[in-house]
Amino acid sequence: MLHVEDLTVRYGDLTIVDHLNFAVEEGQWLMIVGPNGAGKSTALNAIAQGTAYTGRVMFEGGEMKKKKSSDRARCVGVLMQNHFVEYAFSVEEVAALGRYAHSAGARRNTGKGAGRGGEDSRAVEDALALTGMISQRRQSILTLSGGELQRTFLAQVFAQDPKLLLLDEPTNHLDLVYQKQVFELIGKWLQTPGRAVISVVHDLSLAKAYGTKILLMNHGREVACGPAAEVLVPEHLDPVYQMDVGGWMRQMLGQWNG
Amino acid sequence: MKARSDRFSFIVFLAFAAVAFAVFCLCVCVGSVGIPLTDTLSVIWGGVRYQAGRILTVLSGVVSGGSGAAGSAWQAARPEGLQASIILSVRLPRVLCVAMTGAALALAGGAMQGLLKNPLADGSTLGVSSGAALGAVTAIAFGIRFPGLPFAGTMVMAILFAFLSLVLILALAYRLDYSLATNTIILIGVIFSMFVSSLMNIIVTFAADHIQHITFWTMGSLQGTSYQNALVLLGALLVCGGIILRHARELNAFAIGEDNARHIGVDVRKVKLVILITVSGLIGVCVSIGGSIGFVGLVTPHMVRMLVGPNHRRLLPASLFGGAVFLMLADLAARVLLDPIELPIGVVTSLVGAVAFVVIFYRSRKHG
Amino acid sequence: MKRNKFLAAGIAVILACALAACGGQPGTQQTAAASTAAETAVKETAVETTEASTEAPETSEETSAASEASGPIKVTDMLGREITLEKPATRVVALTASDCEILFAIGAGDTLVGRGTYCDYPAEVLDIPAVQSGSETNIEEILALEPQLLIMSAMSQTEEQAAQLENAGVQVVISDAQDIAGVYTAIEMIGKLMGKDENAAEVIDGMKTSFAELEEKAAGDGTESIYFEVSPLEYGLYTAGAHTFMDEVANMLGLRNCFADVEGWSAISEEQVLDRNPDYILTITLYYGEGPTPEEEILSRAGWENVTAVKNKAILNLVGNELSRPAPRLVDGAQMLFDFVYGGDAK
Repeated sequence: MLHVEDLTVRYGDLTIVDHLNFAVEEGQWLMIVGPNGAGKSTALNAIAQGTAYTGRVMFEGGEMKKKKSSDRARCVGVLMQNHFVEYAFSVEEVAALGRYAHSAGARRNTGKGAGRGGEDSRAVEDALALTGMISQRRQSILTLSGGELQRTFLAQVFAQDPKLLLLDEPTNHLDLVYQKQVFELIGKWLQTPGRAVISVVHDLSLAKAYGTKILLMNHGREVACGPAAEVLVPEHLDPVYQMDVGGWMRQMLGQWNG
Repeated sequence: MKARSDRFSFIVFLAFAAVAFAVFCLCVCVGSVGIPLTDTLSVIWGGVRYQAGRILTVLSGVVSGGSGAAGSAWQAARPEGLQASIILSVRLPRVLCVAMTGAALALAGGAMQGLLKNPLADGSTLGVSSGAALGAVTAIAFGIRFPGLPFAGTMVMAILFAFLSLVLILALAYRLDYSLATNTIILIGVIFSMFVSSLMNIIVTFAADHIQHITFWTMGSLQGTSYQNALVLLGALLVCGGIILRHARELNAFAIGEDNARHIGVDVRKVKLVILITVSGLIGVCVSIGGSIGFVGLVTPHMVRMLVGPNHRRLLPASLFGGAVFLMLADLAARVLLDPIELPIGVVTSLVGAVAFVVIFYRSRKHG
Repeated sequence: MKRNKFLAAGIAVILACALAACGGQPGTQQTAAASTAAETAVKETAVETTEASTEAPETSEETSAASEASGPIKVTDMLGREITLEKPATRVVALTASDCEILFAIGAGDTLVGRGTYCDYPAEVLDIPAVQSGSETNIEEILALEPQLLIMSAMSQTEEQAAQLENAGVQVVISDAQDIAGVYTAIEMIGKLMGKDENAAEVIDGMKTSFAELEEKAAGDGTESIYFEVSPLEYGLYTAGAHTFMDEVANMLGLRNCFADVEGWSAISEEQVLDRNPDYILTITLYYGEGPTPEEEILSRAGWENVTAVKNKAILNLVGNELSRPAPRLVDGAQMLFDFVYGGDAK
């Protein structure tokens, strides 16, 4: 589905992402992990065409760079970790914007109504229902909690109905209960055929639990890429994090035994 | 209003239009010279009949090949006398220009506030109006004009400079602070305005014989505007305003966040360019006709947002009406408060605007 | 710490602007000098208008007996300040156009070593180095000319500036003519300081005689009205109301200023002009040789066609500040208005 070739991002003399190569296929959930400053978010941002890069990002055989922005949005959706909102839009308004790419073009301002518009409103309804935001659909986004806000934008990206979902630390600021909610929602979303997810996470346990494929990065480069069982092993992790990662994890979780 | 449709419901639209029309009538009927309402109406009716008669005469002349008899049956005498002069030649064109200038500035302000996700963005706070005024002053000082169109030189230069100012301010802002925080934009706007005003002073010193009226360019005045001015404003509103209104959804996306807009498929670069150009067009035309009238674009969308919410599908058309109403009332105050002395309209809008600015800034800092 | 960096950048820009402003001054002042020739009436009157609000209480001028050329000259200036000169001044800087005109009128133009940027009459004054005036008054620039005396008006300069200049060692005298009588006082005062008492008296007598003659000849009885246009419609109408020289001259000539109910210089409503329907219009808009002349522009205004002055094409354009400066040329202005209104044969 997505093929990344020689992806490199430079800011001046600094190389943030260094010749990255990987692929994501239908049904896969790729977790990009690595210590702070490894270039995870930058790599994701480059795939989303949010920053200048060299190399190629191919989606179903076509280069992402060359796609029209509305076509791109029908292929790839993005959920950011932070949302700084300024105006009192309603939850529903934000979610409905996810349909932008589907109604872009000649009829972009005709809004909801007959025909295709019906499809738009159904997608928004479904997305709101899936994320549990139906009851708050009229609420101003300025009054939402962090978790509700993240679910609102999740509803937006669900309504957008992309084939590939890019998530940048989607639960970074969320309480455990929302972390679980969001990851389970995405897991459910992924069950529909023809979809894939790439997410940047720093929590290795989450990566291990939900990822079908792991990309471990350090200093902008790939350290290892493959199934969790092959990548999240001490030979790779310990040099990257410069500690006994497995030991630390077991120690932390061991507290909960008994 | 039900939020199912994010567009204006017909009733709300009608209500806004009715308020705007009522204020328009008020502004035509009330002025420095008192004219009874009945006289006002009969003069306007006479004027309408006269114009309609003229048009009919021309039309029937074209159709019947000469005589124009059908039209002359309709032809009423052109209303004459002091009251007719005041209403038809002074008040009506002026109020029309005021209303459309207000609408244009408010629309431009609303669009910028959405585009930059910043409720304090406006032609006057960003320095775009000063930039446009600088363009107009430059055109006058260096005699830049187009043959046959004496007014076009200042207008084109005002539009061009408005656009260049916007690009410069935003480029600077992006460099300093990619997230375009409120403080950054406002500080840059202040610095830019200072810079432009010093340039303007230099030009005025260079070409003092050509530019007598620096207060006009800094405070604005819509006195003496004509039907031709109104037509130009109408044209700008139809073209630029139409384009902006068609981008309501994109502006919604920008108002939620530029990155988010890109992610949902908005062609961010193109939309931004289109909005910046159309906004510059509106501001440039307004400044070249009425000088820089501050804060209309800041205050109106803000007040309108409190009424109809931030959705640009409602906000933009409501701002059109709101801006017209706001500026017409400000102009009315300027005309009649100290009668027969007339206040500069910019003084009135700035008074209201400065207070509003502080309130908005305070509120945006509180939750931002 | 992005914010700090950003703040620093902001401060740097402000500093740069400030520096540029300092460095730029000599340049602007030269260009100012170059363009003074065509300095506009309205700009000046606008300055005067803004300053007028800060006008100081009028002081009666008591002049001592004509001083001998040898003895020290004592004068009370028009703000009541005591001024003593050992001998008549020979190096003078005048910041205000009217004071320049007075100096030349009493034959003391050769003592001028510096003038304000707006001083443009008579033509010889343009050869004298210009210094910044009004709010941009530059003390260093004035000191460099080593004047014995600096004359400025209370209208366009401030008392603070006078105090600063005196601290810097310049003898300052302030004129403050609010009416024609004030002009006489100013002429007399300046004459005394320059040791030209007699010339000053001559000028004053000449003015009084001319005005008296005009007043005598003027047949008007105040029924015909005049509207003074200081700023044209395009930029917002401005008129000269009560207690302006224009108003005073109008009364002298038997005309009624149709905005006599407005105090001083003021923005006014277009409707009011139409309503008051003046018989004459006097405009001081300058013409640059492009587009319609100020008279043509007024004649072409929509809605003005019923104004008597427009119907009769009774519009006069005075371009030399004859009626807006408290100077001897008020007589010329009055004469021009008289000729315009009454023509060769008194109506």
